[in-house]
Amino acid sequence: MGASLSVSSLFGKLFGSKEVRILMLGLDAAGKTTILYKLKLNQTMTTIPTVGFNVETFTYKNIKFNMWDVGGQDKIRPLWRHYYSGTQGLVFVVDSSDHNRIDEAKTELHRILNDLEMSDCLLLVFANKQDLDGAMDPQTITERLELSKLRERPWFVQPAIAIEGEGLTEGFGWLSDNIKKMPKYGGK
Amino acid sequence: MATGQLAPRLLQRSSSVAGYTNGTGPQHRRSFTITPSSRPIGSPQPPDMDRTSDSSVKGKALSTGTGASSQHSLLSASAQPRYDAAMQRPRKLRSQYPRGSTENHVEYILVASFDIDRGPVMEHQYPVAITGDEHMLAELMLPDQAHVRNQDWTIFFLHKDTSQEEDDAERRAKEERRARRKRKRDRERGIIHESDDEDGGNDDLDDDDDDDDDDWDDDLSTDSEPEGGEGPPLVYVLNLVNTKQDKTVKRGAVVKAMAICTRHPFLHIYKPLLLLALDEYFKAPVPETLAMLYNAVNEMDLSLMPKLNWLERHLLQSSDNKDLFVEKFEQMIEARISGPAGADVGQPLDASNAPPPRPTIFRSGSKAHIEGHAAYVVPRDTHEFESKVMYKGIPIPVKVPVAVMPEIVGDFSLIKLIQNFSDSHSKSPQAFPLHPHLTTNGPNTHPIIVLINALLTQKRVIFLGHNMPSGEVAEAVLAACALASGGILRGFTRYAFPYTDLTKVDDLLKVPGFIAGVTNPTFEHHPEWWDLLCDLSTGKMRISSKIEAAPITEGLVYFQQQNPAYANLVHSSSSSGSSASNDLTGDAAFMADILRCITTRAGERVVRAKWRAWVLKFTRIAAAFEESVYGASALYIGSDEQDPSLGGAQGHGYVWVDEATKAKELAGNVTRIEGWRNTRSYYSFIQDVARLYAIRPLKGLDLAHLHDRLRTQRLTPAQSKDIYEALARHVRSYDDICMLLSVAPESQAGLFYIALGLFHKDREVRFRTAELLERVAGHEAGQHWWRVLSRFEKLAYVRIKREAEAEARARLEKEERDGFGGAGAGGEIGERRVS
Repeated sequence: MGASLSVSSLFGKLFGSKEVRILMLGLDAAGKTTILYKLKLNQTMTTIPTVGFNVETFTYKNIKFNMWDVGGQDKIRPLWRHYYSGTQGLVFVVDSSDHNRIDEAKTELHRILNDLEMSDCLLLVFANKQDLDGAMDPQTITERLELSKLRERPWFVQPAIAIEGEGLTEGFGWLSDNIKKMPKYGGK
Repeated sequence: MATGQLAPRLLQRSSSVAGYTNGTGPQHRRSFTITPSSRPIGSPQPPDMDRTSDSSVKGKALSTGTGASSQHSLLSASAQPRYDAAMQRPRKLRSQYPRGSTENHVEYILVASFDIDRGPVMEHQYPVAITGDEHMLAELMLPDQAHVRNQDWTIFFLHKDTSQEEDDAERRAKEERRARRKRKRDRERGIIHESDDEDGGNDDLDDDDDDDDDDWDDDLSTDSEPEGGEGPPLVYVLNLVNTKQDKTVKRGAVVKAMAICTRHPFLHIYKPLLLLALDEYFKAPVPETLAMLYNAVNEMDLSLMPKLNWLERHLLQSSDNKDLFVEKFEQMIEARISGPAGADVGQPLDASNAPPPRPTIFRSGSKAHIEGHAAYVVPRDTHEFESKVMYKGIPIPVKVPVAVMPEIVGDFSLIKLIQNFSDSHSKSPQAFPLHPHLTTNGPNTHPIIVLINALLTQKRVIFLGHNMPSGEVAEAVLAACALASGGILRGFTRYAFPYTDLTKVDDLLKVPGFIAGVTNPTFEHHPEWWDLLCDLSTGKMRISSKIEAAPITEGLVYFQQQNPAYANLVHSSSSSGSSASNDLTGDAAFMADILRCITTRAGERVVRAKWRAWVLKFTRIAAAFEESVYGASALYIGSDEQDPSLGGAQGHGYVWVDEATKAKELAGNVTRIEGWRNTRSYYSFIQDVARLYAIRPLKGLDLAHLHDRLRTQRLTPAQSKDIYEALARHVRSYDDICMLLSVAPESQAGLFYIALGLFHKDREVRFRTAELLERVAGHEAGQHWWRVLSRFEKLAYVRIKREAEAEARARLEKEERDGFGGAGAGGEIGERRVS
């Protein structure tokens, strides 16, 4: 984390780095907006519920991320599908301490991944809120989300504490390495 | 100076309506700060005027419209009394929003909030729940990204159907009123027919009073226009959303929205009230808070706002003059003071011996008004009626537009819209992919022209304002509607979604051709959702890669067959070079002119008037195109019977200098005209043309055509004589003159080309023109046109009037001398003077 993640979209343009569209989803209050602004501004912001969406652009490892954070209340989840087209990576955020809703999260995740437009995209799961008591570890999250069912798709579960910025660099490190391998990204 | 000559005669006219001013009129009328001396005050209905307008409603007077007047002698002496009658308003002035009307200004107040578990929910509705999808309403009230700003305005429209019973009841009541009026009119007409023209006019005046609550106007109807035929009027919703950070609540913030639903298009006047009321609601989240706002706004008194007919509204809308029709405001006040309602204006009723002091009328902003002496004020700008809403004991001033035009909703700026998309175009012009409907000037067509073409040809247009308040995208949508409508075409606001979001996208896509405002950049990634994307934050427009190709239509093929010489000028996807370089449409020059206007700070009204003229020109060119290609057009209705007395003043439609110019301009317009045909705005325009024909004066004459010929063509003296004589003979009544003024707007040359008749080589023409100008100068609106007429032409007018007087004197003398068998020396002198 830190300096390497600062905003340098201008440099991005100069060096012709390509823009990658990332969609960040998850149930309400999972920590999506906190992650977005930690990455964008390297600041912990007190966030309030997202009405609609947030979108920010930042550059990391010479890749320009155009990251969408969409509100998670169940009534507005049907809107997620409108954000799918052109998405190269899905960041799915889970509140690891919320045992009651982990099944709900699983259902939503598989619904997203089953969409045709999402068939080629990478999956990064942030097992967020690891600092809270009773937080499930990455292994448990992997099992509860039934990630083993995903065959071809590259996926990765990263434990994180978004308000501290912990785990975010690692997660995005995995994402950028794999994006560079994708044929869409100019075969780099 | 010439007005001065007119004044005494006009002021002499006294009448039953003006009569009430006798006691008190003089002093308080003098207290107006602006008082043109030749202003006609309320006047009786001249009986034969009434008959003319009646018959025109029925469309029987097809020959010349004012059939009656053409029978009158052309000599000035005998035309005099008629001309006086023509100056008078043919009907009683009514209020646009009469007191005691059952129609409320505001129909509903809504409050919604963002529930952290459930998303948007509706909290309260007052006075009753609005029908329809409550959840959808709540979503609209909480626009995307409301959480990133403290405050945001949105606007959206509801297509609320009145229930079947309501509808039927209203229709029955209307029909009944109509039948009653018709009976009354017939009766009156019978009386008038039998009695002489002089009397009998007072009766129908009294009758008129009975129908004050009836907003159905018998001649130039104002109510049949705005929405005509496309279902019930829209409900306009103005919504304010506030986000308040609050540490004490779960997840740290409260997001609430309050909305006002009204059928009046001037919804922006409620902004200050919503600010106060929503703040109040955060403190007291109960239905009573809604009720307080509801009652306050519905008590707003607009009853002193005069009702204008469509011609008057067009004149007012396209004029920059702050005094135009000020007389009507004064009349409304005078009627209130003298009428029975005068009692409730706060005069002391315990009048002892001394009569109560008269309430005085002042111009708003005048010294006396500021000092607080005035009981009534006339607005300082007649375009806006000033009133107030009392909210919690605080008077909130509001300004309501007087001339409400169709498709003009809310408060927006055409200038802002135009600048937004012109700046980036002038700095780094982008080449559009070609589309025959859109890029009428080739790949470098000005974006605003691409936009208006898209609207005319009913494309799906999206305004995207990422990171902008949703109020700003809504404003852009409203401005775009006004741009394409010009107050002339309809069918845009009804398919406009000033603010919408992803939740409505499935419904949106079912609409064929829409104008939508969004803040969510996801729309940009879905070119299959739109045809033209206007990005407000970058000032760039994009034509969708998935736009449907324009079909090759019959009209296009016919045009190319009929005009082989110009066929290759017609825009098609393959060839575009010529139309781009030649500016066949004239749009490049037009845009340059608009931008010049903006940089010289000409003002919003001027820019709107110019766009209005553009739209009008487009419809007239389309009519000419249809006539030449299809042999007929429903875009213009004229008289079927040719009136031989018109001579060279027949003909109609847009006027070109010559045939080659016409062919070129048509060639430049073919594709977008063909794209416009079969759209909603095209069909509703045809309906409007038919409806306006039924109520418009001077049916047999196309005044715009005649004026354009004077303006653009090189005419022989005989040709121009025919036109000047036709104008002088037929343009007589109040409405006739309104019509004439509307084709000669102040913003263009005003009366200049008409006054050129004062220099015609034929002396009869000079005299006729002088008489016509005299009528115009004495007209309530015409006086302003007269005032700005060039000095040169005014001098010519005075000279001709003197000549005419001298001649009349000479004739008198001659007649006296003739008694002694003297020779006609006077006549000779007259002849010599003229030449």
